[in-house]
Amino acid sequence: MSIMEYNGGAVVAMVGKNCVAIACDKRLGVQAMTISTEFPKTFQATPKTYIGLPGLATDVQTLSEKFRFKVNMYKLKEEREIEPRTLAHLVSSTLYERRFGPWFVEPVIAGLDKENRPFICSTDLIGCINFAKDFVVSGTTSNQLYGMCESLWEPDLEPEDLFETISQSLMNAVDRDCLSGWGAQVTVITPDQVITRTLKSRQD
Amino acid sequence: MFSTYPGQVVVDHPVKVPIEHRFDPYVDNGGTLLSIAGEDFCVVAADTRLSEGYSINSRYVPKSVKLSDKTVISMGGCYADCLTLTKKIQQSMEWYHHAHGKTMSTAAVAQMLSIMLYQKRFFPFYSWCILGGLDEEGKGAVYTYDPVGSYERESCRCAGSASSLIQPFLDNQIGFKNQASQKKTLSLDQVLRITKDSFTSATERDIYTGDYLELFVITSKGVEVQKMDLKKD
Amino acid sequence: MFLTRSEYDRGVNTFSPEGRLFQVEYAIEAIKLGSTAVGIKTAEGLILGVEKRVTSSLLEPSSIEKIFEIDAHIGCAMSGLTADSRTIVDHARVEAQNHAFTYNESIKVESVTQAVCDLALRFGESARGEESIMSRPFGVSLLIAGIDETGPQLFHTDPSGTFVSYSAKAIGSGSEGAETELQEEYHTSMTLIEAETLALKVLKQVMEEKLNSTNVQLASVTKDGGFQIYSAEKLQQVVERL
Repeated sequence: MSIMEYNGGAVVAMVGKNCVAIACDKRLGVQAMTISTEFPKTFQATPKTYIGLPGLATDVQTLSEKFRFKVNMYKLKEEREIEPRTLAHLVSSTLYERRFGPWFVEPVIAGLDKENRPFICSTDLIGCINFAKDFVVSGTTSNQLYGMCESLWEPDLEPEDLFETISQSLMNAVDRDCLSGWGAQVTVITPDQVITRTLKSRQD
Repeated sequence: MFSTYPGQVVVDHPVKVPIEHRFDPYVDNGGTLLSIAGEDFCVVAADTRLSEGYSINSRYVPKSVKLSDKTVISMGGCYADCLTLTKKIQQSMEWYHHAHGKTMSTAAVAQMLSIMLYQKRFFPFYSWCILGGLDEEGKGAVYTYDPVGSYERESCRCAGSASSLIQPFLDNQIGFKNQASQKKTLSLDQVLRITKDSFTSATERDIYTGDYLELFVITSKGVEVQKMDLKKD
Repeated sequence: MFLTRSEYDRGVNTFSPEGRLFQVEYAIEAIKLGSTAVGIKTAEGLILGVEKRVTSSLLEPSSIEKIFEIDAHIGCAMSGLTADSRTIVDHARVEAQNHAFTYNESIKVESVTQAVCDLALRFGESARGEESIMSRPFGVSLLIAGIDETGPQLFHTDPSGTFVSYSAKAIGSGSEGAETELQEEYHTSMTLIEAETLALKVLKQVMEEKLNSTNVQLASVTKDGGFQIYSAEKLQQVVERL
């Protein structure tokens, strides 16, 4: 048994036209047994930046708090919001600090920078960053998500279309993964607003 | 006999110990296969790459074989096992033809294949099989198997190395899962488009899938074979 | 009858100088001593009829069984040694079930017939010393009736393992008289009801006893009903129609 698959979970992020979207499932399990169906894995870092943390649930909770602390400290020191790209490097170095006893999470970051340019990236559990122009996936459902995103995603999607694309990608992917699902949370970030929607999806 | 320190025993002649050799009878040659049943047709598609680890042994090794005017079999997994199993099916179909004076129906091949696989329950054929064709009413039929013969008739299925990438896409596009719209029956052109899209997408992310796509279209007129290029990297 | 049969009728697998297998020929003769059985094929289905020889008033007629089910769509009537027919019918049933298990479809009537005939010549000593199943040929002849994808089928098998398809056929002691009657009365546009009547009419003519609903047995094979042996009431109705 891989420790990355102990609790299950899926996160995906996509770039649209002047917008980004990030989505996660809401299941928390212990191997095959579902413990909770209210366990979202995306967290707001700044008004226009979200971080998704799929992996070992204890590390998800610890790291979400750790990043909240670090992002707040950054804001106090710099007197400005952290840029998504900067956050990516913050996440990366935080993970690499534990190079030989890692946090068991593979984070995803999605947001708009100060010029409202979309930014997404993912990292592995020791902080190797993958900057992508289209979409990034992470968690136990990554294979299924790759298949879905590779087929459904197209460039320059408007926010509503982006929402539909990421929702369909996530829902159909988690339906083929026993360890993920049980509802989903989708966040679309545009220059003017951030819309978070909760999806019902299959409950099995 | 001599010793370098008290108590140590050194044997000055070669010691005979049995040499153990380990033989792994299975290899995974990768590859992806897919079949979709339509109202009066069936599409069976598979890439043609044959890999072993990080090497590509061949870029064109067909995984699908036409068994009759109504039936096509596609297999992935260990290519040696697939070849043998295909030959066994073909041989049994010929025997059946001689014994009963007719060509085996798709449903009959389906049941027989299940038994062939189960007969090797404790040294299985490492093969993922998908049987596509037309049933006795002329409707599209897809039968899918696990390596030990558990089988099911479905409307669409993907198996092999990129199955986890393609299957959710098929659920969505063929089965209309997570879509409020009512189920529609798809035309052959739509099914072919979805099939080709599935493979171009899977080729992007799965290293065991690529080179060429071979499509078998089964209609009442017979079996037609199409070929399409996939990325070769 | 067989002028040169001296010695050559001992070994079951020994040809006579004229090229005959006497034991097989005798087995075929044995059928001619058996009770009469008729089979009639129509477009609607098939009828099998047999006479039961109730040799004693103390004998329970219902214990005489001469019509068997092979599968839901195939049945057979026999004449000759009843015990031998059990072996054959068992084999036919296994063959039919095996086919259904392997191919998930019902077996063809011809295939069952072929399987039965494959068994017919497996008597005597075998060349490689493996155990043969039987020491002598079967002393039984069958009328195998069934419906498959090619329509209604009626086959006759004999101890030599030969099988032939018929529109209507009679076997057993009264077969000669019965066949003459069948040839006169049979026509291809016959209904199943007419075939029922004809089967009993033929049996009535050749039976020594007076025909009644206890000393005959009828069965039908139809597309919808499959193989069915007639109940006492149903049989009575046909008898009354005569």
